[in-house]
Amino acid sequence: MKLTRRDRIALLTPLALLLLAGLVGPALIGLVATVTTYSPFGTKVEFAGLQNYLTVLQDPQFLPSLRNIVVFTLVAVPLELLIGFGLAYVLREPIAGRPVWRVLLLLPWLISPIANGVMWHFLFGSATGIADFVGAWFGQSEVASPIGDLRLALPATIAVEVWRIAPFVTFLLLPSLSSVPAERWEEASLAGASTANRILRIAVPAVRPVLLTIAMLLIGLSLGTFDTVLILTGGGPGTATLTPALYSYAQAFQINDWPAGAAAGWLIAAGVLAVGAVYLRLARRGVEE
Amino acid sequence: MTTLGAERRRETAVRGSVLVLALVFFLLPLAWTVLASLGVLPDNNTHPPSWRGPITFDHFSEVGVAEPGFWEELATSTVSAALATTLAIASAFLAAYCLARTRFHGRRLVTQGFLVLASLPAMAYVIPLSDVMRRVHLADTLTGVALAEAAVTAPLAVYVLQGAIAQLSPEWEEAAVLDGAGLFRVMGQVVLPLVGPSVAATAIVLFVINWNLLLVPLVLTSGDVKTVPVAMSDFFTFERELDWPTAAAALVASLVPIALLVAASHRLVERFRLEQGARDIG
Repeated sequence: MKLTRRDRIALLTPLALLLLAGLVGPALIGLVATVTTYSPFGTKVEFAGLQNYLTVLQDPQFLPSLRNIVVFTLVAVPLELLIGFGLAYVLREPIAGRPVWRVLLLLPWLISPIANGVMWHFLFGSATGIADFVGAWFGQSEVASPIGDLRLALPATIAVEVWRIAPFVTFLLLPSLSSVPAERWEEASLAGASTANRILRIAVPAVRPVLLTIAMLLIGLSLGTFDTVLILTGGGPGTATLTPALYSYAQAFQINDWPAGAAAGWLIAAGVLAVGAVYLRLARRGVEE
Repeated sequence: MTTLGAERRRETAVRGSVLVLALVFFLLPLAWTVLASLGVLPDNNTHPPSWRGPITFDHFSEVGVAEPGFWEELATSTVSAALATTLAIASAFLAAYCLARTRFHGRRLVTQGFLVLASLPAMAYVIPLSDVMRRVHLADTLTGVALAEAAVTAPLAVYVLQGAIAQLSPEWEEAAVLDGAGLFRVMGQVVLPLVGPSVAATAIVLFVINWNLLLVPLVLTSGDVKTVPVAMSDFFTFERELDWPTAAAALVASLVPIALLVAASHRLVERFRLEQGARDIG
């Protein structure tokens, strides 16, 4: 229906108020606060320019966290997309018991990231975990937990996150893939197309727009990684799995350097918004083609 | 045709095996946890390793002993997630309708902008948010938590619902207008029933996300209001003693309600469509 100006105001006001109070407003207040010496418990507020950002960027703790999150994102997101896509491809056509498998395969995503960290903490670490049990089969008495190992902690953390997110990617991709008419797969088979060919010619084009959307969501999720590592490794050993979000939280709420914490939070926002700008360009190009 | 039949049989076999492997990979850790919560633990001292322990539900009552507020925290999680979801869906539905039914330059940019907003990690703004909430006296209240959680999830709802509404032909609404219906009657009696399944699916997905949020309730509360994820992080941050079977019981107890919700409504949840927003042509 034709909306009048009054209609539009009425429709948009609730959302605008909600986002202004709970998301955009605080973010902007934070941006202003981080170029000052403001802290909730301080008294004097002076202009500080980029000093808070420089403090964070020069902190020997922050740079490793930056490196970790770049590695984390570059490895985890493609793996999540790949595994998620593979599973969706397998489930695209009816198969015995499919509704049950779909629900069961969504279970990892239903666990909260924090609970997931707790669960893997025990599965990796304790004498009753999976690793030790498998090790015992091969006569290994004790398997050291990868999360305590400097070199293995980050890969193990990535694996835990991929385990949780890949099924969610399948859930998001399935509607697009199963909406491809069954005849198209059969025609391709008749024409002698290989599986690789069918994936590249039919499956990938069918999910391309939504794949871009999912990639954006996953990159944002990954750059903000906090819950998963909080209990699993706490950022350690050393700084092996420290993330900018953990760093930011610790600065603001544990070390009580509020300006540094808020500045680090804005650095995460800047990273996601930069990716978002690329996303907006790519999404528009998709339509013009 | 026989080669095609053989080809299809071969493909079904491959699909079946991949599916079995995936089920083992994704469900084994969960099965391990469920067994531990029931007191069934591996014994690595025997050769080959074996399983020990009779099945018991004792570990579930131990959760209540180790964390006396656990069952109350489950209730708090449920109420705050339900409030946040209702608030997010209601405000997102109104705004999504407006977006879908208004033609303006840059509409697509605005829609996709909501997706970028949905991707923004809470850590980006949660530090100033906790300061704001404290100043307006909403810190450590259920209202504050629900409001903040709603703001986290509303952008995703706008993106998805806008896509769903844009698929609808406007004819139905126009017919209702000719019958003299006003804006809110058109939305409530024409649009809402048509996109009902999408709205319900989005609501369930949002509920799951809200239920599992940690950072937002963590920084906005200090004890009076406590959700399950916050309780879990508290427990381990302060390194209180918690053995694996009890932790497993707590994990299972916090997963079961949400898993039952999704299983019971799986036909609806499967109507969740991210691609309608992605395909939307402005």
